[in-house]
Amino acid sequence: MSPPVLQAKALAKSYRLGKNEIPVLRGIDLSLAAGETVALLGASGAGKSTLLHLLGLLDAPTAGEVHYDGERVDQRPVGQRATLRHRQVGFVFQFYHLIPELTALQNVLLAHMMATSVWSWWGRRKRCRAEAQALLEQVGLGERLHHRPNELSGGERQRVAIARALLAQPKAVLADEPTGNLDSNTARDVVDLMFSIQRQRGLAFLLVTHDEKLAQRCHRVVRMQDGVVVS
Amino acid sequence: MIAAFSPFLALRYLLTRRINLLGVLGVMFAVWAILLVDSVFAGFVTTIRSDVRNSTTQLLVTDLPHDTGYDAVRLALEAERDLVAATAPRLRHHGMFQPRRAPRGGERRVESSQVDFDHTENGFAILLGIDPLREPEVSGVRGWIDRAPTEFAERGIDRPRATVFDESDPHRRERLLVPDAAEWLARKRAGLPIEPHSEDHRSAWPGALLGWRRIRHAPQLNPGDPLDVVVASFPSDGKGGASLHTHSIPLAFAGWFASGHRMFDETTVLLPIETLRTLLGHDPMDDGAIDLVTDVAVRLRDEVAGSGLVAAQQRLQAAVQKVLPQGSKPCLVVDWEQQNEVFLSAVAHEQGMMQFVLFVVMLVAAFVIYATLHMMVTQKIKDIGILSALGGSPRAIGTVFLLGGVTIGTIGTLLGLGTGIVSALYLNDANDWFYATFGLELFPRRLFDLPRVPCDLSPSWIAKVGIGALLLALVVAWLPARKAARLHPVTALSHE
Repeated sequence: MSPPVLQAKALAKSYRLGKNEIPVLRGIDLSLAAGETVALLGASGAGKSTLLHLLGLLDAPTAGEVHYDGERVDQRPVGQRATLRHRQVGFVFQFYHLIPELTALQNVLLAHMMATSVWSWWGRRKRCRAEAQALLEQVGLGERLHHRPNELSGGERQRVAIARALLAQPKAVLADEPTGNLDSNTARDVVDLMFSIQRQRGLAFLLVTHDEKLAQRCHRVVRMQDGVVVS
Repeated sequence: MIAAFSPFLALRYLLTRRINLLGVLGVMFAVWAILLVDSVFAGFVTTIRSDVRNSTTQLLVTDLPHDTGYDAVRLALEAERDLVAATAPRLRHHGMFQPRRAPRGGERRVESSQVDFDHTENGFAILLGIDPLREPEVSGVRGWIDRAPTEFAERGIDRPRATVFDESDPHRRERLLVPDAAEWLARKRAGLPIEPHSEDHRSAWPGALLGWRRIRHAPQLNPGDPLDVVVASFPSDGKGGASLHTHSIPLAFAGWFASGHRMFDETTVLLPIETLRTLLGHDPMDDGAIDLVTDVAVRLRDEVAGSGLVAAQQRLQAAVQKVLPQGSKPCLVVDWEQQNEVFLSAVAHEQGMMQFVLFVVMLVAAFVIYATLHMMVTQKIKDIGILSALGGSPRAIGTVFLLGGVTIGTIGTLLGLGTGIVSALYLNDANDWFYATFGLELFPRRLFDLPRVPCDLSPSWIAKVGIGALLLALVVAWLPARKAARLHPVTALSHE
């Protein structure tokens, strides 16, 4: 049996505020298997986004471990963590987080440029460009390749963000309230798209959401409260 | 390894933010100013140093005790055969000179014991007594004679070249005697007693050469015109005090010289050393009289140069010191730079101060780059979070902003170098055009009395300015880049 794509073992995170230590996560155990979709539910301040950041190696835990494919990764040097993050996970954020100076196509291409040197990029750019274009067409933005984010609607921007998260072919996608900034119709379309791609590629999905209906579409729902998993 | 997204994003950020143009223009202006202003100043300094060098002897034995004789020093120097090629005596003193004018209808002739302050034709001067037979061996005095008519011609003044050094008779040359006919004519103009015919006259007055810049004091002088040179002494009056005595001697104006050294040309009068000795009370007919000198000029053999010069100075100083009276204070043997140390160090200091000011201009341009990049990092905090989330390492993220700063610095530097070089090459043309069109002289040519603005632009200086500007851009770009690299991804992502 293959190890989980992502695994948190007794993960804890505290923040220091002056002399006080504020615990946000208090020993979380969570696994995400290949092809599995997991929804993370909980009230604001439960620690959902913090858990996502720790699993994505954007932050370091105060205690506990993060494993990728069975190997501990949270203690690796910062450069290695960046590379692992690039290969293993893709992020989708509530507010899209696109680079405003770049077009839709360029925003997606960024994902390939992350771990490629200038010299290697020069030989691969045409192939990468074709892949990015195909992905944008797959998410329904074939006609909007050269539009900047301020020329796209909210739903279109989130589609670009999804395409960007998928370009490097990660094993897992970590989505933090992906529909939180969209109207209900657009949100539905985006969610349908995400699950469609998830099925096609066999990706693992970890979705932070307040939406119970969205959570019910996942294989598993994990509820958090005050930094611990309650169910 | 430079990640591909670093230069890609750096370029995008630069192209979409027009404020970066400010950084480019700032660096361009600073580099242009440094190149142009420093090249002009360097040109002036090169010209000044060259002129000072031409007006000075290679070595000068100076600070000799009072009443030092030339012969003893000469023999001591010439004993160093492997070093010394030629020597010449010099005697320095201060005095006044004034042309004599013919009395006209009741006008009283000015006697040499009186100083006529109503006229600008007199003036204080440094009297430099030279041996006209030896002096050409140690200095460029013949070249000074040749240069004077050129200096006048450039200012629209016509003056003949002095001929006193062309005399074939060494006895006449030794006294700088002007041609007989010229002196006869001058005496006639001055209303002095003369022979009926010029062919019967024999020049009697020793000649005096004036620095060409003194022409404003004596605009009407012709070769042979009588000059009175006056020196003062203060002998004891026998009652515990001192009295003022003046001594004067008639000389003939022998012509102009132009050494190129402004101060030297303004203040110095060259006359035969024997004449000055006589003026100072030394009787040349007295066998016991010493051949008084204050300095001895030395020209070294051609093979003595560079690092050998210092050793030569020390050897010659030791050789001369041996022949001086015991207990004398040490004499000095100084080269041309040491002879003009105060002036040259003032020029060098001025150049250093000017370069410092220009460096400050460059610093201001660097601060502009720093400010625009710092602002960019602050405005791009969220982007930094995104790049981290996508797998960008802190180093690669910092490189985005570092490359931005380096690009601004490089473009600004290249533009500055280009405009600076072109400006320096066509400086005089531009100066002429501005003057013809607007009546404005950006660089006053007469500031140092030079016909053209000198410009000394060396390839090594261009390289130094270019590399310095690039390094400065790199340094000031590094700080904001470091800030970007050290931003916590989570903090950056949640930045409002």
